[in-house]
Amino acid sequence: MQPATVYSRDRCITGIHGMDEILRGGIPYGSTVLAAGTCGSGKTTLAMEFLVRGALAGEACAHFTATEPSVKLLENIRQYAFFDMNMIDSGLINVFDMDVLYSWLGLDKASFDLDDVHALIKAIVDIVNTIGVTRLVIDSVTTLCYKIKSEQLIRDFLFTLGKKLATLGCTTILISEITSATENAHWSSFGVEEAIADGIIVMGDVERMGHLLRFLQVVKMRGTSHSRAKHAIELTPLGVMLTPMLKWGAVNDKTSRWGS
Amino acid sequence: MFELDQRISEQLTEVSLNSSVQVRCGNSNAFMVTASTMIPLMQMFEMGGVYICATRGAVEIIEAFEAIGVDVSNIEFVDLVSSGILGGTDVDRPNITFIDSPIMLESVLLRTLYILRISNSERNFVLIDSVNALAIYNEERMLAEYLHTFINTFRQREVLSVILNVPDQVPPMVLSNLDLYCTDLIDRGQVVIH
Repeated sequence: MQPATVYSRDRCITGIHGMDEILRGGIPYGSTVLAAGTCGSGKTTLAMEFLVRGALAGEACAHFTATEPSVKLLENIRQYAFFDMNMIDSGLINVFDMDVLYSWLGLDKASFDLDDVHALIKAIVDIVNTIGVTRLVIDSVTTLCYKIKSEQLIRDFLFTLGKKLATLGCTTILISEITSATENAHWSSFGVEEAIADGIIVMGDVERMGHLLRFLQVVKMRGTSHSRAKHAIELTPLGVMLTPMLKWGAVNDKTSRWGS
Repeated sequence: MFELDQRISEQLTEVSLNSSVQVRCGNSNAFMVTASTMIPLMQMFEMGGVYICATRGAVEIIEAFEAIGVDVSNIEFVDLVSSGILGGTDVDRPNITFIDSPIMLESVLLRTLYILRISNSERNFVLIDSVNALAIYNEERMLAEYLHTFINTFRQREVLSVILNVPDQVPPMVLSNLDLYCTDLIDRGQVVIH
């Protein structure tokens, strides 16, 4: 008897040590993934490594930064052995300051209306289309959405952006800043990002006897089976490294507790 | 004159890279047994490796080896002790990495894996010194789980794991699990009959 054919979506191989194993081969191509984490949990490092691994494979990548100036971002990432400044010089990695983009678009204002949101989506999509970007990071979608006052507009913005990027075959990581990564917490600041994203990766800290251990957990990823276990992570000069977190070391008991 | 236990090196000729060796020692012979295990691995089998120091700080261990004329500069030390001592990490030795606490067991595993990824040596060992010291900080079930993960991780990667313990002071669950996971036993431990 012949085995039944199992449909499998093409994958964007992240190249991050252990990550593709968790995702059973990588992120389904064209997905929009929310990387939600507390401060210092390694979101930006993870996202930058995602881009650099793509650039190493010859893919064009873009990083829109709204949280720190691009110069500072590049200075921080230079310490990693997997990064090479030639990736910037050769145009494989393109870093854009959101403040500069706002100025170009005449969006130097406290809050955005519908037209502003559409102008912003068009600008991002045009850049992706022009450069042929296949990996994109927006760091952070939280900072960006602070300028969009209505929940409905935020939903429209993220949904439209995700849809257009998927059409262009671009796999996107939206970084979301959260204040807690506990089991009952929201994985986004506005409550709408998590519903729209194809995938959610939560990053935070587990406190164990006064020490913080970084963890990463894939909560959701459409189009693939995946591990849903908590993984301890270490930020090394070779990039992010993961290992399953000890089951007895992450339980909610007297000696240890979830979250930061 | 420091004398090594030659029978340990004879026993080590029978282990392979994917073996996991439980080394039992006593309170008084711990360094002699450790050195008798480490020295053949480094000199006879020309292995590189990672020494996980939970009992004493790395500097003290390196100095103990230097005192008996053994160069351990090609061994990487992961020190779980010195961060708990103010000024303990103010050390200028390139082959020492510090971990904040012995309770950060996953970090120890990841740091060891990282060191092995950048290692030039094709044949490596990882040595935990000791289960007893880890048991001070870690709950019995968690330590048993950790050693299970640790041994299997390195066995899969063909890295010899050496687990040092003083058996009569190891929590019973951990010791019985070690007996189950480890492929080989070097027994120089004290036997206490209660």
